[in-house]
Amino acid sequence: MNNIVLAVLQGVVVMAVAPFFSGLGRVIRAKMHNRRGPSIMQDYRDLTKLFARPESQSEDASFALRIMPPLFFAVAFMLAMGLPLFTAQSPIPVFGDAITIMYSLALARFFFALCGVDSSNAYAGIGGVRELLMSVLIEPSMLLALFAAALVCGSTDIATMGQHIMTGAIDAPVAVILAGIAFAIACYMELGKLPFDQAEAEQELQEGPLAELSGPSLAMAKLAMSMKQVLVVAWFCAIFVPWGEPATVGAAAVLGAVIFLVKCLIDFVVCGVIENSCSRSRFKVLGNQTWAVVGIAVLAFVFVVVGV
Amino acid sequence: MDSMTLFIASLAVSCIGALASVLLIKADNAAKTAGCLIGAVAAVLSFVAGIQAVLGDVTSVDTIVFFPFAHFQLLLNQLSGLFVALISVLAFAGSIYGLNYFDEYPGKKGRAGFFFNTFVASMMLVITADNVFWFLVAFELMSLTSYFLVVIEENENSIHGGWLYFVIAHVGFVLIMASFLTMTNFAGGSFAFADFRATQFSPVVASVCFVLAFFGFGAKAGIIPLHGWLPKAHPEAPSNVSALMSGGMIKIGIFGILKVGLDLLSASGVQVWWGLMVMVFGAISSVLGVAFALQEHDIKRLLAYHSVENIGIILLGVGASMAAMALNSVGIAVLALMAALYHTFNHAMFKGELFLGAGALLYSTGTRNMEKMGGLFRRMPATAICFLVGALAISAIPPFNGFVSEWFTYQSLFNAAMQGDKAVMIVAVFAAVALAITGALAVTCFVKAYGVSFASAPRSEAAANAKEVPAPMVFAQGLLAAICVVLGIGAPVIAPMLVDVAASVLHPYGGVFAAEGMELMNQYSGAATSTPAIAIALVVLVGLACGYRKLKTVGKVQKSQPWACGYAPNEHMPVVATTFASEVSWFMQPLYTLRDRCTAVCWSIAHFFQKLIGVAEAVEPVPDKVLVDAPHKGVEKLADLATKLEGGNYSIYICYIVAALVVFLMLAVQMG
Repeated sequence: MNNIVLAVLQGVVVMAVAPFFSGLGRVIRAKMHNRRGPSIMQDYRDLTKLFARPESQSEDASFALRIMPPLFFAVAFMLAMGLPLFTAQSPIPVFGDAITIMYSLALARFFFALCGVDSSNAYAGIGGVRELLMSVLIEPSMLLALFAAALVCGSTDIATMGQHIMTGAIDAPVAVILAGIAFAIACYMELGKLPFDQAEAEQELQEGPLAELSGPSLAMAKLAMSMKQVLVVAWFCAIFVPWGEPATVGAAAVLGAVIFLVKCLIDFVVCGVIENSCSRSRFKVLGNQTWAVVGIAVLAFVFVVVGV
Repeated sequence: MDSMTLFIASLAVSCIGALASVLLIKADNAAKTAGCLIGAVAAVLSFVAGIQAVLGDVTSVDTIVFFPFAHFQLLLNQLSGLFVALISVLAFAGSIYGLNYFDEYPGKKGRAGFFFNTFVASMMLVITADNVFWFLVAFELMSLTSYFLVVIEENENSIHGGWLYFVIAHVGFVLIMASFLTMTNFAGGSFAFADFRATQFSPVVASVCFVLAFFGFGAKAGIIPLHGWLPKAHPEAPSNVSALMSGGMIKIGIFGILKVGLDLLSASGVQVWWGLMVMVFGAISSVLGVAFALQEHDIKRLLAYHSVENIGIILLGVGASMAAMALNSVGIAVLALMAALYHTFNHAMFKGELFLGAGALLYSTGTRNMEKMGGLFRRMPATAICFLVGALAISAIPPFNGFVSEWFTYQSLFNAAMQGDKAVMIVAVFAAVALAITGALAVTCFVKAYGVSFASAPRSEAAANAKEVPAPMVFAQGLLAAICVVLGIGAPVIAPMLVDVAASVLHPYGGVFAAEGMELMNQYSGAATSTPAIAIALVVLVGLACGYRKLKTVGKVQKSQPWACGYAPNEHMPVVATTFASEVSWFMQPLYTLRDRCTAVCWSIAHFFQKLIGVAEAVEPVPDKVLVDAPHKGVEKLADLATKLEGGNYSIYICYIVAALVVFLMLAVQMG
C-alpha cells in the first residue's frame, strides 16, 4: 500500500514540478541573452490559459490526434510511478525496468508522430518523421550504454543498477563512468535541446506534431512533454547518480523528494547553460554527431569486456 | 480424441477441401465456398490437435505407405504442436477471409481453393514428418503449391517473383537434402529422425550438417542475404496466402533450424559458434530488413521486408539459446528459446493480421501503393483499428505481444552475455543493440504504414470512394488482432506454457519460470515487467486524462482546415511514404546500396539457373543425336533404297513376284 501511495505521489510531484523546470530553461536563456525574459512561473500560466480556451482541430484528423495528449500524459505518469525517484527502490518495480521504459517511451513517440501525420499538416508530419528518426539515432547508443552498465550491475532493473552503483560494489568502475557519460549525452539529446533540437519555435522539429493541437489538448501535450524531460533526467540520476536517496520506502521519502528535486535543478541548470552556449546544427548532419556517443558507449562496453 | 487422430482427420479434411475445389472448378463460386469452408474446418481440427500436443499429449504414427524403405512416420510433440497451432490459426483466418477475397480472382477460384488447401496440408506434414523421405516430399510439395499461389495472377510481376522464389526454394531444398543425407549416412543409413537423435555425430559432421541446414532453412526463412525472393514473391500471392506465407511458411525455416540444431543433433551437443553465427545473421537480418522496409511504398512489399526483420529477431533468441546451451546454462537456453518461440507465434499473428489488412486495402482501393491511399480511417474504421493493433504489436509497443517476446529476447541476450564467454558477450550485446535499432526503425516504419494509409486526407479517387470490406474479412482481421492483444496482456499465463515447450526441446528441465502472478520475470537477473499492469495503468490514466480534458473543454471542438502557411491546404501537402523514405535515406544511404547488392545475390542465383537451362538445352540433344538420330538416319537410308526399288507401278511389282518365283523354283530344282 505504501508503495502505491508513493507511486502516485511521485507521479503528482513530477506533474507539478515539470512546468517549473521547463520554465527554468526559458529563464536561463533570457538571462544569457541579456533579456529580462519571462517569470519562472510562465509555463504554469500558459497551461492554465490553454486549459481555459476552446478547442479547434484539423478537419482531416481522426482519433489518433484526439488520443495522443491523454496517452502521452498517461505514459509519462506511469513512468513517474515506476522510476526510483524519491527512494532507492522503485515503488512499482514492473514499470522500472530499463527496457520497459525504453519501449513505453516508444509508445508515446508512436502516437506523438502519428498525431503529426494524422493532422494533415505538412509541417506537423515532417516534425513527426524527424522525431522518429532522432530516436533511431539515439536509442542504439542509449541501449549500449545501459547494457554496459547493466552487465556490470547484473540486472536491467533500474533500482538494482542504482543500488549497485551507490554501494560501489562493481568490478568495472571505469566502464560505468564511461557508460554514464554516454547515457548522459543520449539523455540530453532525448530532451530535445540545442544543438540537436529545439523544443520551441521550430515547427518541423520537436514540437512540430503539436501544430494542429489547441486548447486543453495542447496544454496536456505540453505538460506531458515537460514531464518526459524531467523523467529522462530522473532516469539518468536513478542509475548513475543514485546517492542520497533513502534505501527503503517510508517517511524518509520526503527527504528523498527534496534531494531528487535538487538533483533535477542542478541538471536542468547545466543543460540550460549548455543549450544556450551552442548554435543549432542542421538536422541532416545529426547522423555524424551521434557517432561520438556511439563511440563512447562502445568504449564503455569494451571496458566491461576487459573488466576495468 | 487423441491429438494424432484429430491431426490426421484435419489432413483428410484438407484433402477433401482440395478435391471439392477441383471437382467444382467449373462452378467458380461453389468451388471457392467449398474450398474455404472445408479449409476452415480442417484448420479448427488441426488447431485443437496442436494445442493438445502443446499441453503434453505427444503422439506419433509409424506405418508403411507406398515405400517400404521410408516409413510414414509422424510425430506430434510439443514443439511441432506449437507450429501446427500457429499455422492453423492463420489457415482459419485465411479461409474465412478467402470467402470474399478470392472474388478478386474470377475464373481461378477453384484453383485458389485447391492450392490453398494443399498448401496448408503440406505445411502440416513438414512440421510433423519424422522421417527424412517424407519430410523432403512434404517440403517440396509446400514449395510447389505456394509457387502456384504466387503466380496465380499470371502477370509479369508474379511470374518474375514466382520464378525467383522457385529457384531459391530449391537451392534451399538441395542444402537441406545434403544435410539430411549426410546425417543418414552417419546414422547407419536410416531415414528415421529418431535414429538421428540417438546418433552421436562427430563435431565436424555435426557442424557441416548444421551449417547446411542453417542456410537451407535460412533460404526458406528469408535471412539476409537469401531474402531477395521474399519481397518479390509474397506480395504477388493473394493476401490471405501472403499472410500464410509470411506468418506461417517462413516459420518452417525457423522450425527446421531448431529441429536440426537443437533436436536432431542434440546427442552430438551444440557448439558455441553455431549460436554466434545464428545471432550474427539474426542481427544483420533484423536491422537491414526493417531499413529496407522503410523505403517501400508498396504496402505488401513493406510487410514482406518486415518478415525478414522479424525472422532476424527470432534468430537472436535461437542463437542466444544455442550459445547458452553450449555453455551448459540450460536455464538461460530455455528462456532464450522461449523468447524465440514466443516471437515466432507473435509474428505469425501480427504479420498475418497486417497482410490481411493490406489485402483489405487492396480490395477496397484496388492499389497496393500507399501514395494513393490516405484518409481511410473514416472509410474503413474496423480495418484501421485492426491494422493499428498489428502495427503497435509489430513495433514491440507495450502492452502488446511483440513487446513481451522482445523483452524476453533482450533478457536472454543479457543473460547469455553474463555467462563469462567473451565472444558470446560481445556478439550478444551487439545483437541487443541491433534489436534496439530495429525497434526504433520499426516504430518509424509503422507510423508510416498506418499514417500514410489511414490518416490525413484521401489522395486518390479510389481512396475517397473506398468502403469497409465485407464481414468475413473484417472477422478474420479482428480475430488475429484480438489474439495479438490476448498474447500481450495474457503473457503471464502464456509464457509458462511456452517455457514448457522450450524445455521439452532442450531436455526436461524444470527450474525455469518466466512469470509469477501478474509479473513477467527474468529469474536470473531479477528484472521484471508486467503487461497486464501496464495495460491497467494506461487505461486508468488515459481515462482520467480524457475525463479531465472533457471537463475543461469549453463548448464543442471546432473543425478547421489544417494550417499551410496561408495557402489553401490540399491533400497532397501532408507527408506521404516518399517523405519518410527521403528523410531516412539521409542517414542510411549506404544500407540501400547494400540492399541492391543483396537483391543481386538472389538474382545471380536465378540467372545461374537460367544459364543452366541454356546449358541443358545445349546438352540435352547430344544423347538424342547418338542414340536416336543414328538409327533413325539408317532407317531413312534404307527407306530411300526401298523407294528406288518400289516405284509404285503394279507391273514392276508383278515383275518382282515373277522374278522371285523363278528364283525360288530354281533353288528348289537345284536342292532337289
